[in-house]
Amino acid sequence: MTIQTLDISPVGRVEGDLDVRVDIENGVVVNAWTHAELFRGFEVILRDKDPQAGLVVTPRACGICGASHLSCAAWALDTAWGTTVPRNAILARNLGQIVETIQSIPRHHYGLFMIDYTHRNYSKLPSYEEAVKRYSPFTGTSYEAGVTISGRPVEIYALLGGQWPHSSYMVPGGVMCAPTLTDVTRAWAILEHFRRNWLESLWLGCSMERYERIRSFDDFLAWLDESPAHANSDLGMFWRMSREIGLDKYGKGHGKFVSWGYLPHEDRYNKPTIETRQASVIMKSGVYDGATDSHKVMDQAFTREDTLHAWYDEGGETHPFDRVTKPVQKNPVDVDNKYSWSTAVRHLQNGRLEAGPLARQLIAGGSHGESWQHTDPLVLDMYRKMGGASTMLRHFARMHELCKLYREAERILREFRLGDEWYVKPTERDGRGWGATEAARGALCHWIEVKGGKIKNYQIIAPTTWNVGPRSTDGERGPIEQSLVGTPIKDSSDPVEVGHVCRSYDSCLVCTVHAHDASTGEELARFRTA
Amino acid sequence: MANLLWLQGGACSGNTMSFLNAEEPSACDLVTDFGINVLWHPSLGLELGAGVKTILEKCISGEIKLDIFVFEGSVVNAPDGTGEWNRFCGKPMKDWVKKLSDVAQFVVAIGDCATWGGIPAMAPNPSDSRGLQFLKRAKGGALGAEFKSKSGLPVINIPGCPAHPDWVTQILVAVATGRAGDLEVDEFHRPKTFFTSFTQTGCTRNMHFAYKVSTTAFGQRKGCLFYDLGCRGPMTHSPCNRVLWNRVSSKTRAGMPCLGCTEPEFPFYDLAPGTVFKTQTMMGVPKDLPKGVDKVGYVKLTAAAKGAAPAWAEEDIFVV
Repeated sequence: MTIQTLDISPVGRVEGDLDVRVDIENGVVVNAWTHAELFRGFEVILRDKDPQAGLVVTPRACGICGASHLSCAAWALDTAWGTTVPRNAILARNLGQIVETIQSIPRHHYGLFMIDYTHRNYSKLPSYEEAVKRYSPFTGTSYEAGVTISGRPVEIYALLGGQWPHSSYMVPGGVMCAPTLTDVTRAWAILEHFRRNWLESLWLGCSMERYERIRSFDDFLAWLDESPAHANSDLGMFWRMSREIGLDKYGKGHGKFVSWGYLPHEDRYNKPTIETRQASVIMKSGVYDGATDSHKVMDQAFTREDTLHAWYDEGGETHPFDRVTKPVQKNPVDVDNKYSWSTAVRHLQNGRLEAGPLARQLIAGGSHGESWQHTDPLVLDMYRKMGGASTMLRHFARMHELCKLYREAERILREFRLGDEWYVKPTERDGRGWGATEAARGALCHWIEVKGGKIKNYQIIAPTTWNVGPRSTDGERGPIEQSLVGTPIKDSSDPVEVGHVCRSYDSCLVCTVHAHDASTGEELARFRTA
Repeated sequence: MANLLWLQGGACSGNTMSFLNAEEPSACDLVTDFGINVLWHPSLGLELGAGVKTILEKCISGEIKLDIFVFEGSVVNAPDGTGEWNRFCGKPMKDWVKKLSDVAQFVVAIGDCATWGGIPAMAPNPSDSRGLQFLKRAKGGALGAEFKSKSGLPVINIPGCPAHPDWVTQILVAVATGRAGDLEVDEFHRPKTFFTSFTQTGCTRNMHFAYKVSTTAFGQRKGCLFYDLGCRGPMTHSPCNRVLWNRVSSKTRAGMPCLGCTEPEFPFYDLAPGTVFKTQTMMGVPKDLPKGVDKVGYVKLTAAAKGAAPAWAEEDIFVV
């Protein structure tokens, strides 16, 4: 048996560029290691700065989920300062979060994910010719339409915050803006344009109302069969060709998932505290364990960061409130020792958890949480009937969120009370705060400690940290490491399958695969996954 | 046709995301209408790693003509000047940057990190980051003060956090269509066509500035953000209120103070306690005055303005 080693380099943006090494035996990945390759030190930069510095700095940790970072930074200060947040402000923050995600879905789908379906490995598949026509970079019919229209939703963000990316319009006590009727009507027009010119026409091949009737796996299959317009939509095409490729067969992972939940309800979180958040959000938080098919609510107190295999000199594992970020000086890659700038994030009871849209949708299927919170059984039903997670289901979950977020954006535009307040000036004080949300690509949160009128400690755990972290002290692989195990590699000099798995996590990271021949150590190939 | 290579160092990808919002021309138009051949881009390139490294090496050897080298993100030098904290294709990114800049016809730095170091270079600058040809206001940066690309121009700096997509695409089109000769840059290598006027130029709050009527707290529909909320619009060079963001607005129009992100000092005062979203004053006079205005002039001007302010200026003007 020839064993080969593939190295993926880099996969990180928030925690840095990431390299992944995989061992291949008989054409299948049998082991994997992920290592982040960029350190910028945002937590170090924020020490001793103005308490509000996070509002300026953290959206710039990640230009892809800046609204999500800003949400976390603002809510963290709200809980630390004990502010009052008016309902209009909660709605305006949620709208910013939503339109950023609606932007991200087509951009990721066409720009990062579907390009791989035009790979020459698939030239014999029935859908290949159509895939090339639609998804070729820059010139594909759907690529051009999808990438171009992805700029529209964030125009709504600019109506609220002046620009996307990198506004800081969410502040403790509310928002900076006070939108007028024109802003609301313009936002409606932008949403309608997005729906008519892409969401319904290209993406679904049917009305949103028809798609929204799908509640089970059987419903979905019936929808596909109902009309050629459905089967040939970009969603239908994704489903068909993913099965032709076999993306429903690998990329499984740990089968354990986490979501912080998000979108605080406008009338339930006006006095934000760490303790009351999870019962105040529309999209509920949770941990889903596929092995026992059980759900429970997530609590930030269970979060641990383990640095044994990360390039930090901190020892043991800590809760983020107690963490002091200390980078090592020399950072050679040593998979037996330290090999990443990303920490290994653990749940104290459940270990390593996968974050992202699949996690959110599996948790949305649970009966835990508050009775008024959003539930949706579809993806959990698919998970149970399709044999658990896969590269395909992970990406499908992302696509499925679009209509739901669109509807919530519409609801917000109806709920704004233009004559009411948008901001209640808070009193600055010392304290600890926690702000969380769900970025397009998963669970994101910030912990802040303000002492003596300045930041004593600021810690961020990004979705990418959950997903691409290295092994933890107990030896458990990180979620992407685990997902790579079992991946078939057709051509080790061009291992596009590793790219499918990494890209299904939408880690917003640049990623290169180095393929090594294990016997000679010769490098065979490298490539980018996001 | 012009070959373009785009790499990212200590970056958040925000300039790429901003670039994808471009409308006239769009990112796809650059390829289909203006013949820009994207050799590789971290979020958009098709080629896989070995292919990427080959492209970089062919650019360096001259086998592929590198017309435009775009760099986003800071150049990371830590630890100890090695750059090992940001590796790409197996070696420090800073080494790739140096070699590629030496062979490129034009080198374009996009965003504050690539121009002056940006947020990563903020004190204590843990990654030892700098821009391509500046660190904050000091000339030098990663390539040195004397660097000129093959075209004879220094690094073209398109600052902003992020840069506006139209600032980027128009410069790329100018270069690709042979109008680079019309590009004039200022002392910080910013294209004068965009960075001579001020952020305040075209701001919808200019009347309130003129009458010294302040937005005293967030969430108000009147007033100017300069007097209390720390807006840097009058002393920042950018066309944010001439070329609107995402087609529709600007930060100051929406109610967010300008942070001065097209200037080398951003983020100002290193975000020290008490400096965020608050106008810094001394004896009641702002420490940072509108460009070219002195303290005596400012006091006279605002006294007169206050005296002349009409009653409507204190009421909501951006009404529901």
